[in-house]
Amino acid sequence: METQKLQQYREALTIPGLEAALTGPGAFVSCEPHTVTEDDSIKVVKTCCRACIANCGVLAYVKNGRVIRLEGNPEDPMSKGRMCAKGLAGIQALYHPNRNKYPLRRVGARGGNKWKRISWDEALNEIAKKLMETREKYGAETVFCSTGGGGNPEIWSIARFCNIFGTPNWFEPGCAQCYLPRVLSYTMMYGGVDPSIADSNALELYFPEDTPIQCLVLWGTSPAYSCPASGGNAVVELRAKGVKTISVDPRFTPDAAKADVWLPIRPGTDVALLLSWIRYILAHQLYDSEIVRKWTNLPYLVDLETKKLVRAKTGGDNEPDTFMVWDQKTNSMQPMEYPWNDQLDPALEGCFTVDGKEYKPAYQLLWERVEPYTLEKAASICWLDAAKIEEAIKLFTEYTPSGLALGVATDQTPNSVQAAMAAGIIDLLMGNVERPGSLLQRFRTSGVLKMPNYPVPVATKMLPKGQLKKRLGTNEYKGLHIWYAGHPSSIRDAVLTGEPYQPRVWIDRSGNKLGVVAESAKWVEAIEKLDFIVHVYMYPTSFSAYADILLPAEEWLETDMIVETCNKLFARQAVTHLWETMDETLFWSRLAKKCAELGHEGCQKSFDAEFMGEDLAYWDSMEEFFSHFTKVVGMDWKEFAQKAPFEYLPKDEWRSYYVYKNVDPKTGKPQGFNTPSKKLELYLESMIDLSRTGQPFAAEELPPASKDYDPLPYYLEPFESPVGEDELHKEYPLVMTNGRVPFYHHSTLRNVAALRELYPVPEIWINPKTAETYGIVHGDWVSVESLRGKITAKACVTEGIHPGVVFMERFWNPETLDTETHGWKEMNVNVLTKSTAPFNDVVGTYTLRGFQVKISKTDAPPKGVWTKPEDFKSWLPIGVGATSDQSKEGKR
Amino acid sequence: MKQYVILADLDRCIGCKGGCQVACKTEHEIALGPSRSRLYTMGPTGTFPNLQMYFLPLMCQQCENPTCVQVCPTGACYKDEADGVIKIDRETCIGCQSCKRACPYDAIFFNQELRVSDKCDVCSERRAEGEEPACVRNCSGKALMFGDINDPESEVSRAIKKAGADHVYALADFGNKPMGRFILQKGQWISTLPQEFEREQQKGGSHE
Repeated sequence: METQKLQQYREALTIPGLEAALTGPGAFVSCEPHTVTEDDSIKVVKTCCRACIANCGVLAYVKNGRVIRLEGNPEDPMSKGRMCAKGLAGIQALYHPNRNKYPLRRVGARGGNKWKRISWDEALNEIAKKLMETREKYGAETVFCSTGGGGNPEIWSIARFCNIFGTPNWFEPGCAQCYLPRVLSYTMMYGGVDPSIADSNALELYFPEDTPIQCLVLWGTSPAYSCPASGGNAVVELRAKGVKTISVDPRFTPDAAKADVWLPIRPGTDVALLLSWIRYILAHQLYDSEIVRKWTNLPYLVDLETKKLVRAKTGGDNEPDTFMVWDQKTNSMQPMEYPWNDQLDPALEGCFTVDGKEYKPAYQLLWERVEPYTLEKAASICWLDAAKIEEAIKLFTEYTPSGLALGVATDQTPNSVQAAMAAGIIDLLMGNVERPGSLLQRFRTSGVLKMPNYPVPVATKMLPKGQLKKRLGTNEYKGLHIWYAGHPSSIRDAVLTGEPYQPRVWIDRSGNKLGVVAESAKWVEAIEKLDFIVHVYMYPTSFSAYADILLPAEEWLETDMIVETCNKLFARQAVTHLWETMDETLFWSRLAKKCAELGHEGCQKSFDAEFMGEDLAYWDSMEEFFSHFTKVVGMDWKEFAQKAPFEYLPKDEWRSYYVYKNVDPKTGKPQGFNTPSKKLELYLESMIDLSRTGQPFAAEELPPASKDYDPLPYYLEPFESPVGEDELHKEYPLVMTNGRVPFYHHSTLRNVAALRELYPVPEIWINPKTAETYGIVHGDWVSVESLRGKITAKACVTEGIHPGVVFMERFWNPETLDTETHGWKEMNVNVLTKSTAPFNDVVGTYTLRGFQVKISKTDAPPKGVWTKPEDFKSWLPIGVGATSDQSKEGKR
Repeated sequence: MKQYVILADLDRCIGCKGGCQVACKTEHEIALGPSRSRLYTMGPTGTFPNLQMYFLPLMCQQCENPTCVQVCPTGACYKDEADGVIKIDRETCIGCQSCKRACPYDAIFFNQELRVSDKCDVCSERRAEGEEPACVRNCSGKALMFGDINDPESEVSRAIKKAGADHVYALADFGNKPMGRFILQKGQWISTLPQEFEREQQKGGSHE
């Protein structure tokens, strides 16, 4: 039986049913997977998932070289032996008939989707030659690279290649729209890890038996949908032991349904609500007074003219600057020696004049900023009930320790950084930091990797002097330098206008650029202006249709990675290897090698171990690369992968609480927080320096931004708003928001039968009252239109959304790849989103959520879109989830 | 007699469809379309923003008085005395689908490829190897348990006892005596059959 299946499988590879998606002369010929062996025993390989970014531990069952079953690894302290739909679908993704199997070169016109198979050597030579010519003629900066869209094993490999090649330009559709605003704010405010559950932080939550947390706020996140096996389960356990939960989400998600309080906020207005929480906490003095007085910078005086804190002296080695406070005992300005001086009684409120200059404590400025945001005002802006807001704040402040887990929602509006700053302020005011029960922690790490789970050294020193200033958009949006990234809209506009210079070559690895960048159509205009485009991915996407070279990347079951999960180290390891796929991290190394051969000095140096030092010389294999790290524990990669997982510290030692109280042996004083003042910087003075110079993130000094970034959070009403004077909302009356469903990560997996069967087309959630107005009933096809475009979705008529709001999950349709839409035009909410100003002042975020649309009933789904379970049959791998019926088809 | 059942703790079910749908389907190589288990969204009920919703994973309820067994003309559909689980013998099933029509919970489907009726047997093959059913093994919320409900010491019996009689529910009984159990402490049980509830929801029926 098994032999027969194996035979069918081999034959199937020659008939991949790919014609529906991708056609071309000689593109797909017979090939056998590398690791098929005639061995009936079942081998269980311990690896880790990468269907999203959660890295859950996996047991992969392998028989005759083929992965036949996936299960969660119970040793994983986060997922505890569970896997979600996305991970479990990994076998279908791995053996998908439409995988990119070999390097392909486009033949015929761009967008014509005709391809010819070439060797890796040919492909790399061709790309390197083009890169070198472009660099020679127009400058290295006219080459740009990008990643994102899901399934991303290592984003720094892109940043590293760019530095070494000499271009400052790489970008992600994420970054300013996903996670970076939170990383930036929490890094600057306390110097530790942000509380994003979907990004595998908030590690305090994974030991429910120990944690004293009593109230958890899920703000713009639903772990049940984003990471069910890890964060989703952790929240289930906490609720089961009586932890209160609050959900701030326009959608009635599973976590909203199970919350003690649900605040269905108007999309894009989060900062108004956050400011009302801060106001309430300050007005009712609910904050942790000890923390606020001794460990925040709120008592420090601010010079009202410069907006900077007043310094008595600058600090020395390991010593922060000394700041001035207003001492109420002596009624005078006094220096506050770090960490504090019990002789002083610093004022928190008031305005003080010294030598004709006015000063206020930072606390006073924070109060003035939040003062207008009463519960009633927030309720009116956010379409909420003031009593419900108060109920939520009371739970959060009475059931302590508490924690606010901020999700991606607020990263997707131009108010992004301010939302993260305000959320940070709330937890820090309450003292929810570094104590047991807090989400904000600096727990120990293994030390095997400098940055857990992101091992590739970025090699910033390799970017030639002067190039950084050419990073597109980031002299203005300097916050992007924390991830060394360019500004997507600025890069695209440079392609369209030639200003400030003309980018010409684009190398992208992503799950579908056109599914995840805002205003996809504008990007297609830009694509048409480019000289050369390379796409690297596991399977063809809409973007592939516009590429000149298409390269096959490995699925997660084919890749290696050191994975640090709480107090343990795991190995993601290649369970199999198919066709000519390559690890993406290795691809960049191979490309650098080709450029080196063509005379690129930086690329040549990048192979010199001595010169590269801690940045590591480029590697010839993943084994070589990972062995650099595993040698710390006395093993090469092979041995490490075979023996993993390891517990590198007992959980009680790994959870290092109160790090700020540890005494620094050099100074004899507490080491404080990882900020310039060593205090919690609720008044984020360093935003001013960032806007003027790029410090502390840019490797060289940059020209100032057009205006200083604000050290305090402020509310920005959505540019397209359902309230206010302009006429727009009369024609486009509904607010659109997006969010996850548990079947897909970013733009991945829309081609997996087992998942499309469960969620075949994107739903648009419409309140019954609204649906009635438009004559729409549940299951109807609905046309959805913004100022930027028009798409189709399927109506989900539900009370779980405000009558003025609609929700859609991002989508694209791999089944129409080979039509003129290339699958991105039909049901892709990013046709509607807004990629133009206003941008967030610090990081340049554009508008993915909280913009205006109109809807109407339409008769039919878009042409060629698959809706019924049986439609997805041709995407089934033979012998996996397939029936005898499909096996027959495979034999034909 | 032993009576193996699946117990679902609905307070823990987060509606992700990983274990109960995807793992079940890949384990049993079920074709696209039908499924041995389904996850129903019971809600939202009420009016925005005062709503309730829970999720209900539904598979064969292993009835004590199973109508599917009673109507089977060949005896292919039988209640196994060893574990109380209702099974369908693929050799003797003639594919008449009487059992499918007799099941009040839509828990039996017709396997087009094999031309037989097909249903949840609490993963008999996995249990024989000492493993948990695929849905239980992979449930992200750890909402699913299985065991012998007639054994007071089993995990399911202990969970039922701990939840208390007021919070333990079974699907509507038409004389067939469903043995599957559901725990719901944080919410109001909807007694309408899940598939009927879903149909009403889709028609825009209200559940105030």
